[in-house]
Amino acid sequence: MHPLERLLNLVALLLEAGRPLTFGEIRAKLPAYQQGDLPAAKRMFERDKDVLRENGIPVELYPTDPWEVEDGYLIPKDRYYLPEISFTPEEISALVVAAHTPGADGEAEQAVRKLQVGAESAPLAALSRSPITAGIDPGGPRLAAVAEAIEGRRAVRFSYRPARGEPGERHVDPWAIVWRSGHWYVAGLDRDRGEPRSFRLSRFLSDVSQEGEASSPPPGFDAKAQLRLGPWGTGQGLRRARVAFSPDVSWWATRGLPEAEVKRTRRDGWVEVALPAGDSTAFVSWVLSFGPDAELLSPRALREDLVARLEAARAAL
Amino acid sequence: MRPSRASERLRRLLVLVPYVVRHPGTPLAEITRLFDVPEDELLADLNLLFMTGLPPYGPGDLIDVVVEEGRVWIEMADHFARPLRLSRNEAVALYLQGKALLGTPGLPEAPALASALVKLEEGLGPEALGELAGRVEAADDGRPAAGDLLEPLMRAAGEHRRLEIEHYSAARDETLTRRIDPEEVFSAMGNWYVVAWDEPADAERMFRIDRIRAVRPTGERFEPRGLAGAGRPLYSRSEDDVPVRLRLGPGARWVSEYYETEPVGTAKDGTMEVILPTRQLPWLAKLLVRLGGEALVVEPAELRDLAREVADRTLARYR
Repeated sequence: MHPLERLLNLVALLLEAGRPLTFGEIRAKLPAYQQGDLPAAKRMFERDKDVLRENGIPVELYPTDPWEVEDGYLIPKDRYYLPEISFTPEEISALVVAAHTPGADGEAEQAVRKLQVGAESAPLAALSRSPITAGIDPGGPRLAAVAEAIEGRRAVRFSYRPARGEPGERHVDPWAIVWRSGHWYVAGLDRDRGEPRSFRLSRFLSDVSQEGEASSPPPGFDAKAQLRLGPWGTGQGLRRARVAFSPDVSWWATRGLPEAEVKRTRRDGWVEVALPAGDSTAFVSWVLSFGPDAELLSPRALREDLVARLEAARAAL
Repeated sequence: MRPSRASERLRRLLVLVPYVVRHPGTPLAEITRLFDVPEDELLADLNLLFMTGLPPYGPGDLIDVVVEEGRVWIEMADHFARPLRLSRNEAVALYLQGKALLGTPGLPEAPALASALVKLEEGLGPEALGELAGRVEAADDGRPAAGDLLEPLMRAAGEHRRLEIEHYSAARDETLTRRIDPEEVFSAMGNWYVVAWDEPADAERMFRIDRIRAVRPTGERFEPRGLAGAGRPLYSRSEDDVPVRLRLGPGARWVSEYYETEPVGTAKDGTMEVILPTRQLPWLAKLLVRLGGEALVVEPAELRDLAREVADRTLARYR
């Protein structure tokens, strides 16, 4: 008998038995275990049981008599079967699109194959569409470790290379996972600094180890807000700056920055915009990326930073 | 340890059988596509399946499998009428990828995806997602960087319609009008791109959609050339590339993560030397000014001159 046939029969038997079966009873019912001697059959059964468990099938052990002399095996239906979740065709196709992210490891695809069981017609069409997102963050594999820590309310330790500055150890209570602009971040309490911070997973230099119990996020903690301040960083400053953009770049410069507010259009066509300046170094760097097409008007201190940086660049070139 | 063939086939069958039970007469082609299984393996699996069932394994106890005219029926398989529940890894992977996709601003599927994820949170129960439900967020939702142009570009790509676009070119530092054949629209690193055949240049080009000012139909259609979309590198090498050598200080190291660079080496003081291939020296000149002395040009000298010129013109605004 083919091993697959034996495995299928074993799953069916333990699902439908209705009560725990001892190995003796299983052997009596399943001809596959009647060949050879008892120890060999028992070994084969043990291997099969491991295969089922590796595949996520809950083979459970129960005592079969009051003296607990011999255990029985059962697959409880409520732990085996996927709960019925009814998705609309649009929902299933959206999940198919999400599962087929280039570079993902196939776990999500397998999840969707299970979830589409009752779907009407939609999954096939969604599968033949071309993917609309490119790749996932290289930090992806470490996500599982962070996700596990959040689930278990554990603090984590890892080695980290910040965007600026020297690499070092971080000890963090992870509060949330946030996706922004193609990257995964962990937002939480930086224990050494005593402040909420966020860390990009692709900048982790080590695996994630768990260390101690984690605090809970404070009431009203908004992980998104911590990360949403603009392309110039993840700081929490809310100081407003005013920047003028040339007509060539003004129409796209602040697209996608909902916090940017057009103040006026000058007679020369330049547009003045007010927007929050978070981390000043990053903000200055962003304004400089427009070259002569942008001028930082205020605050004065930030304007001076910018000029100093420009002069440093000029001297170094 | 690598799972055995039987184990892999079991895993596949326990997902595939419930689907066919619920969709009687499913075409073979649909099954092979949905479950990513070659047809010969599928037929071999179905041949085994129909010899299994429940004790005492009489004719009435076995699963009934019929393959006829390219369609499949599976009956007498009540015990396999529902799939195995999601493993923790499967649930977490789908949930995270779904949240990430939801964070792609302007996504047409966003409402359906959002409600699907809520159903997952509620339907899978605490065993699968636990504390994680509600602790994963996408920070970009609603950020309309690509604006109203996303939808017309996606539609033109789907219907193979030639367009005229006004586009700001970072390489040329000016807004140009060009005719393009849009083939794929995709999002990467928080930006939307359209991959197109650029008619006048007779070459493949990629445009950031937030740098497109206007889109106009031309009334013409095109024959798609099969250009690659999502998953492609954002920068494709070409013979016209200039191999720029840069020395990056600690404040400029992000350049090596953000752009495609080749590492050359790291000096004792922590500066990193990289080669950044580019066709766009004016763009790189601006980048150097932005880095404020944290990056030095090793070669070409031409780039140094360009960057000095950009720095001088920018400084002039402040004097």
